[in-house]
Amino acid sequence: MPSDSERLLIQQIRQGEPRAWETLISQYEGRLLAFVQRRLRDRAASEDVVQETFVGFLNSLPNFDEKRELQTYLFTIAAYKLVDHLRKKERHPQYLLADGAGEALDREVDSSPGASSVVRRDERRELETIALGRCLAQMLRGLRERGENVRLKVLELLWVKGWANKDVAAFLEVGEQQVANYRFAAVRKLSEMIRDAGLSADVFPELHATEAPA
Amino acid sequence: MSELNRAVLHAYLDDALDDAEMARVEQLLRSSDSARQALVSAMDERDRGEHSLGAIWRREHLTCPTREQLSSYLLGVLDDDLTDYLKFHLETIGCRVCTANLADLQALQRETPPESTARRRRYFTSSASLLPTKRDSKK
Repeated sequence: MPSDSERLLIQQIRQGEPRAWETLISQYEGRLLAFVQRRLRDRAASEDVVQETFVGFLNSLPNFDEKRELQTYLFTIAAYKLVDHLRKKERHPQYLLADGAGEALDREVDSSPGASSVVRRDERRELETIALGRCLAQMLRGLRERGENVRLKVLELLWVKGWANKDVAAFLEVGEQQVANYRFAAVRKLSEMIRDAGLSADVFPELHATEAPA
Repeated sequence: MSELNRAVLHAYLDDALDDAEMARVEQLLRSSDSARQALVSAMDERDRGEHSLGAIWRREHLTCPTREQLSSYLLGVLDDDLTDYLKFHLETIGCRVCTANLADLQALQRETPPESTARRRRYFTSSASLLPTKRDSKK
């Protein structure tokens, strides 16, 4: 959750207070610049991307949900601007696809649905992302409060790094069965939360690909 | 952990991998048809509206420490459990946002004030005209 001072800062920016805007820039430009520069390795281009990030923030300010963390929001914009920059420079992942695999991408672009359905699809994805993020955050907060760091690490390796149960078990020096149990319990809890939030689990493949533990 | 798994491919598409993992993935994509095909499949999944839990976890920074915790980590004054977790999050997970925050905190100790002041002034002047006017904000 954002802090009170963060909420106040946003309110002041919404009221057009230049000093508040300066404060936000001072607080966040360094970390955004470090984030972008590590990827681009080009100081001038990185500063341009950060500049576009701040412009993008002000342009999207009317839609900013004050329940979101400001830092998360700014880094999300910076990541989009960075990907845009890489696309323009043909350094985005899609340019690594050779002819054969690249055809699928071309097809995707050529036969893309109309703009309005793309917008609807993107809006739905965004809502699903935010809703699942809240469910996950609630579950992880519980683990942290109970000091269950091993379980937290297990889930982070399984879902963020995509490691297999046996690799997680070996790395953390815990039993493979224990990893499977942690995964199963987390999937079950998350599935319940998603159902309660009125979302379909169909669009979250990781939640229906887990076998019950032995 | 040598294969390109689904979480890694989605993180790659989001440009969310750390430097070493990014280099590994790009090398595999250049040398392996099956890796390229897996990337196309990941793109198709997105087109079908499917999500990756890991992508949401990363994007929402669900286990990222606070800036204050990172400062304390640099100073070596965190308790052992949190130090252990932060080390894991930075070095094993390779969180790019926290790595950037850490780099910024380290830079703040080195950078001369005029350098950052000039940069901030440039960001401000290039964007301040977009600030809502006081009249707009009352609507």
